[in-house]
Amino acid sequence: MNGSLHQIEVEDRWTLIELLRDHLELTGSKIGCNRGECGSCTVLVDGEPVYSCSTLAVWADGQDVLTVEGLEKDGQLSVLQQAFMEHNAPQCGFCTSGQLMSATALLEENPEPTVDEVRHALAGNLCRCSNYNAIVEAVMDASRTGDA
Amino acid sequence: MKTFTNQNPGTVDEAIGFVRTAREDGHSVSFAGGGTDLLQLVKERVVNRSGQDVPDVLVNLKSLEGVDQVSFNSLGGVAIGGLTTLSNLANNSRISDDYKVLAEAAGQVGTPQIRNVGTLAGNVCQRPWCWYYRNGLPCYKAGGNECFSIVGENQLHAIFGGGPSFIVHPSDVAPALVALDASFNVAGPSGNRVISSSDFFVLPRDDVQHENVLSDEEFLISVDLPAPSNGLKSAYHKVMDRDAWTHALVSAAIVMEMDEEICRSAKIVLGGVAPVPWRVPAAEELLIGNVVTEELARSVGAAAVAGARPLAKNAYKIPLVRGVVARTVLALAATV
Amino acid sequence: MAIDPLKTVGHDIPRIDAYERVTGKATYNRDIKLPGMLYARVLRSNVPHANIISIDTSRAEALPGVRAVITHETHQLIYGSGSISGGRQYNDAVKDITRRLRHMFPNPVRFVGQPVAAVAAVNRHVAEEAIQLIEVSYEELPFVLDPEEALQPGAPAIWPDGNMAHDDQNRQEPIGSQSGDIEAGFQQADHIFEDRYTTAFVQDAQMEPRSALAHWEGEKLILHTPTQGVSNCRHDNARDLGIDDHQIQVICKYMGGGFGDKNGSYYFDLIAAMLSKETNVPVMVELSRKDDWLGTHGRWHTVQDYKVGVADDGTVTAIQMNALSGMGPYLRRSGNIGGIDAYGCPNVDRKIYPVHTNRMVSGNFRAPQYPQGYFGIQSFMDNIAYEVGLDPVEFALKNMRKPTEEEPFTNYSLDQCIEQGAEDFGWRERWRSEPGSDPGIIKRGAGMGFAIFNSTVSPSSAIVRVDSSGQYTLFVGVTDIGPGAKTTMSLIAAEALDVGVSDVDIVWGDTDRCPYSIGESGARTTTSTGYAVMQAAIDLKEQIAAKGLPADDEVLIASATPNPSGDGRRRACFGAHFVEVEIDTELGHVGIKKYVAVHESGRILNPLPARDQIRGAVQQGIGQALHEDLLYDVRNGHPLNAGFYGARHITHVDAPEIEVSFIETDDGFGPFGGKTVAEMGIICPPSAVANAIFNATGIRMKDLPITREKMLEALA
Repeated sequence: MNGSLHQIEVEDRWTLIELLRDHLELTGSKIGCNRGECGSCTVLVDGEPVYSCSTLAVWADGQDVLTVEGLEKDGQLSVLQQAFMEHNAPQCGFCTSGQLMSATALLEENPEPTVDEVRHALAGNLCRCSNYNAIVEAVMDASRTGDA
Repeated sequence: MKTFTNQNPGTVDEAIGFVRTAREDGHSVSFAGGGTDLLQLVKERVVNRSGQDVPDVLVNLKSLEGVDQVSFNSLGGVAIGGLTTLSNLANNSRISDDYKVLAEAAGQVGTPQIRNVGTLAGNVCQRPWCWYYRNGLPCYKAGGNECFSIVGENQLHAIFGGGPSFIVHPSDVAPALVALDASFNVAGPSGNRVISSSDFFVLPRDDVQHENVLSDEEFLISVDLPAPSNGLKSAYHKVMDRDAWTHALVSAAIVMEMDEEICRSAKIVLGGVAPVPWRVPAAEELLIGNVVTEELARSVGAAAVAGARPLAKNAYKIPLVRGVVARTVLALAATV
Repeated sequence: MAIDPLKTVGHDIPRIDAYERVTGKATYNRDIKLPGMLYARVLRSNVPHANIISIDTSRAEALPGVRAVITHETHQLIYGSGSISGGRQYNDAVKDITRRLRHMFPNPVRFVGQPVAAVAAVNRHVAEEAIQLIEVSYEELPFVLDPEEALQPGAPAIWPDGNMAHDDQNRQEPIGSQSGDIEAGFQQADHIFEDRYTTAFVQDAQMEPRSALAHWEGEKLILHTPTQGVSNCRHDNARDLGIDDHQIQVICKYMGGGFGDKNGSYYFDLIAAMLSKETNVPVMVELSRKDDWLGTHGRWHTVQDYKVGVADDGTVTAIQMNALSGMGPYLRRSGNIGGIDAYGCPNVDRKIYPVHTNRMVSGNFRAPQYPQGYFGIQSFMDNIAYEVGLDPVEFALKNMRKPTEEEPFTNYSLDQCIEQGAEDFGWRERWRSEPGSDPGIIKRGAGMGFAIFNSTVSPSSAIVRVDSSGQYTLFVGVTDIGPGAKTTMSLIAAEALDVGVSDVDIVWGDTDRCPYSIGESGARTTTSTGYAVMQAAIDLKEQIAAKGLPADDEVLIASATPNPSGDGRRRACFGAHFVEVEIDTELGHVGIKKYVAVHESGRILNPLPARDQIRGAVQQGIGQALHEDLLYDVRNGHPLNAGFYGARHITHVDAPEIEVSFIETDDGFGPFGGKTVAEMGIICPPSAVANAIFNATGIRMKDLPITREKMLEALA
């Protein structure tokens, strides 16, 4: 979990998001719909974005999970986090963690995406403030900055 | 969520054993692939297997070894493990080269998060997304005695093959697999059995509670595709009512074998229009032995909707099928 | 009007809490954990209209881990904010006289999703299991979903004296306004047009589903709840609980969006308070997404019949509207329908009938009465412009409301917005004088809409303090639903005090620590509380000038509760939107190819978030134009497509680029000339998009949302 090993006994019915939020005090990931429709709960499992509301905690046994709390390294925000701040990407902020995680996975795999690629990579992350333009601009900015 | 037990089988036999034991103990049980959809059904207490309750036991197939691989054989065919994620399928370059329709279909399921977890088998075997079923109404698919859509909100329902239930099959990859002549390997208590993709799905008039021939103790363990013939071209065209993350209003999986400009064989399988992936042989036949012109493509589109019987609110699917089929046929013929 | 640049205000300033928002450190309501707290779930009605004959909670109570079960039999509280009262901004007396009370747990139940019982348990799983064990016996009653049917004789009676809504005096009168002489207006007309436009119910659907965490310290209730207005929420709840305002502390720090869904209090605040009282520990009521969808509210759906008279030269001489608004079984907000106000026509007759149905409740959603009404009137006027042979832009400039001697504005710029928008958009190149004339299957076309939105100023309070180190602290009762109110308040204070933004700490979102604030609704926080901040800061600066900074442990404090007026003139914002669509006439797809929004909202205090308020609102408006709806099964009264998936909310892939520009002015009112921003952007998109579809195809779409299926049916 965010680079450290946790041993914890879970109930079979706990979803991964419940494990994070209720038992590991990682409340940065949010529950927006709890049914795989919105993306607020997106975390990276073995580097890939997944809906943590739609997978069981017990199924994540032995896997590498990265949440928004793991993006800041040694007090340094990630390039994406910095770009999100500068571009006003969070409005209410509730979807932000999920958007950041999907974008993090995208830039890891594809450091120079097109706008269309960003949109498709983030298609599973809804923003009801509908700040879609600003989020895409932030990701595009981070992609160039990250490259430079 | 209700209480349930997760079982991690180490072997196929153990998986089937867990199911059998659970059933013998009077528990309801489901196989779980990626679980992205199954868990929603559990949370919302929608009955997954007809005649059963919300599962007491989940048998987690992800714990099996070797069922999530894509393996090409010496004859040029491929075996795809049922637990292969949709992302891995969509991003597999050889699948994209040889069976484009399948890669495109897998790549258009849901969202990246769903494709990263959701599996081939899970997508093929998912329960209907009819809003009556999903809202817990006691319809045929939930073991009840009625299809609420017939005189209700049937915008998204079947124009072919309906009755007594009018659900549409929700899978994107299923039409692609039927169009590719896939064989389905099914694991069950008495070993594996092989079922042709054309025999796998069942119409409500034959079995109103299920969408396929799987028994409660069977699961789809792998899919075999024959080697692609020379000149094989294929594509999946999905039309949604927003541009991402919905099921198909209408889709077409089309495979054409081209000899220069002449179409030698064709398979056209529609999604979003029938309770099973819906093949349209009359439309296919128009293509065979002919040069694909705009005019021919339009005729093929028109033939694809022959016999459609829309409900009160879904007649729009007819022009949609016509357009999607015509355009995809034309685009395929034009690709080099 | 040129504006003088300022030092802090008017520059792009990232949110002061952006760091918290990008690191997951911002604490939203469900992130709060208190020792010993319980989790609660609400059981909801699965029938649209029924008397509850009995409720058997014994099996739920027997489930291990269950701590309390409450129902209408145990708790009979009236949820007053659910009626036409609600918050100080409305009339307290209404609750005393209204005959249509909404209870926390009503009996009879009047819609699918109505709360019937609640369970507090050691964790949410147990609470969920427990509500499944509650057995409710219903006597089902006839129900009605359609507002027109609800007014027919013999329709199922949701209330004893009929389904027409009561106003705040228990009268069944339509909302309306009459001006000039409507009959004379029709007589002056050379052409008379009549038509019907309809709009769908859309959920506010903020990303954060609702919750309420309550605990009692003696006789005092501490309530953590996401609300667009801690002060109003406290007052509503105090009234419903029969205690004094000061006996409640409402805390709301971060909130995952509101859009009107979180105005004032909600019944689950009361449920949390009651369950906490029963159990003597903190209780968190959590709503699932479906609970939230059906158990809160959304924009009222409407049926609008218009009759418009026009002279040969295109001058509109009379506008008549008869309309229905579907409100669900309780009147949470007015049901009014705006839009006609944007026209200067002197002869107007508007009648709007808010109607009760057995659908879920309607209420405020961003610019509550406008997108529906603007869709109706501006689609119709667009159609009339073609009929009389005028370019819609010319028609707009001719017929839009203009300042008059009787109705002066503090400033006026609607003409400028329209002209600049047309220029930036390239109206002359993109608009086709012959609708549907783009050859081929893929057709492009252009449409426009314009709006006037009042920028009112209401009383609100602020306190500013400075200590001997020169650090300032601002106390404001705002919460931050997304637009960035905290940041705006800070930079207004910094500007007025002539200090840096980082020199001002802010204390917010807590009724025990902050003075009254109007609440984050009507896009009023900047103009109301922001104005109070400015006044308090000016006062403090004067004190410092007179006395110097305080020494040692002393502080200087200033407060303000101004009640500004517009000097008898109307203060409003203006905007014009232009959109180009591309229609696939074979596959029914509507693509937005270009979208230009020009707005005048006075001085733009912080351009960075202001731009995104408009862009986000436009995207929401596009979703409302093309996708969002709530369908019901007419036989069983069940909603079918609740949720982001079901209602087809737009995704990143659907969202076009929106080009926003502001015409800046300073009319001398409000904080540094700032007006409202956040609600304006959602008003025009439905009509502008529909008008563009007409221009592209020659087909007038009169029923929202314009889904692919409706497009294909119309094209067939």
